[in-house]
Amino acid sequence: MSFGLEAIGLVRNFGGLRAVDGVSFQLQPGELLTVFGPNGAGKTTLLRMLAGVMRPDSGHVRVAGAPADIASRDWRHRVGIVSHQSLLYGQLTTTENLMFYGRLFGLTDLKTRIPERLESMGLSDRAGTPVRELSRGLKQRVALARALLHDPEVVLLDEPYTGLDPYASAVLREQLAALKDGLRTVVLVTHNLKQGLELADRVAIQVRGRFSSVMDSVSLDLTGLEALYQAAVENPA
Amino acid sequence: MRAYVALVWAVARKDLLVEFRTYERLTAMGAFTVLVGVLFNFSIDSAVVRPQDIGAALIWMTIIFGGILGMGRTFRLEEEDGALAGILQSPIPLDALFLGKVLGNFVLLSMMAALVFFVFGLFFSLSFSGNPVVLVAIVGFGVLGFVSLTTLFSAMATRSSMGESLLPVLVFPLLVPLVVYGATATQRLFAGRPVVEVSGNVRMLAAFAVLFTVAGAWLFRFVIEE
Repeated sequence: MSFGLEAIGLVRNFGGLRAVDGVSFQLQPGELLTVFGPNGAGKTTLLRMLAGVMRPDSGHVRVAGAPADIASRDWRHRVGIVSHQSLLYGQLTTTENLMFYGRLFGLTDLKTRIPERLESMGLSDRAGTPVRELSRGLKQRVALARALLHDPEVVLLDEPYTGLDPYASAVLREQLAALKDGLRTVVLVTHNLKQGLELADRVAIQVRGRFSSVMDSVSLDLTGLEALYQAAVENPA
Repeated sequence: MRAYVALVWAVARKDLLVEFRTYERLTAMGAFTVLVGVLFNFSIDSAVVRPQDIGAALIWMTIIFGGILGMGRTFRLEEEDGALAGILQSPIPLDALFLGKVLGNFVLLSMMAALVFFVFGLFFSLSFSGNPVVLVAIVGFGVLGFVSLTTLFSAMATRSSMGESLLPVLVFPLLVPLVVYGATATQRLFAGRPVVEVSGNVRMLAAFAVLFTVAGAWLFRFVIEE
């Protein structure tokens, strides 16, 4: 049986610092894992390795059962990433940005696909607006449209709520909730316990590079998560 | 093959689109070219030195120094809002990304080189009666070699703590053959020498251009991957 996303013994060092230390997990297609952790826990490093942007020192990643080797490019069609940075070009319009990334993914139906995506994100009236003129919330929605343009099976979200006001956070949350369509495998990295727990099927707490616990979110409420988080941060394994 | 070329063109097109929105690099290189032309015009005593005798060397040095200004910012744009991570996460082969960057830079530096010839032709009254195709080949191969080298090293310099200031230190020693063959060939064409006297230089420039481009495309992955 193949998992939607599988990380096996991921390790990454920066000089003498071990940023990610033997992280392993398996997610079924359709599952959403939220990774919590304090600043410097190695969450972003983990996500960059899952996205194939950074090479692990040891361990490996499998996407839909296929090895996600950093040197090979084909499996990247199956992964989309949203970061706290927009990964967009401020000087280009929303449509031009999506056109560019669509071409990188070899998509040929961009003239129909892009308006559809913009429509679904409520961005149709911003199609010709340069990205630098968009608010932080709108920019993050364009970033999500970019990440989903090629219909990835795995979506990686790195602190997507950073810098958003409550309204923009609520709008983005609705769009992230729509990712739970039973088909996509999603990893959300955040240090916001409430926002992360709302969407999660499973949660993990990462401290000093390690997963101190991975559990189902069904039996977990916010108070219980806060207690677990505090214990994990104060007494790392 | 067609899909690969489309990827290269997508990167170059995006770079050129951004540049023609901001004119950031073209303005810096263009202003440098005009100012250097003006300064050389006033600093050279034409009663002692004939401008025609040193024109080609000045043209090539201006292309190199002005080009560094623009090429040094090749990857600065990608770092602004993390766009490089978005590209690296996509399935584009890294050599295609490199060649797209080189193509975009080639177009920009060719425009600058045309301005350099115009400015120096104007200030130094350089007359050119030789074969224009050969001159275009000399400049074209020289510019291609230059942008291939500087694109590779620009990626390296952007990721270092020294940033763009590191680029000239890394690149200038490797540019010596391009400058020697390019300036010599251009000088001979300005002097009205026959094409056969520069054909060897053109071949050497072409060889360096191909070498730097192929080596750059291969080495780029080691520079860009984390």
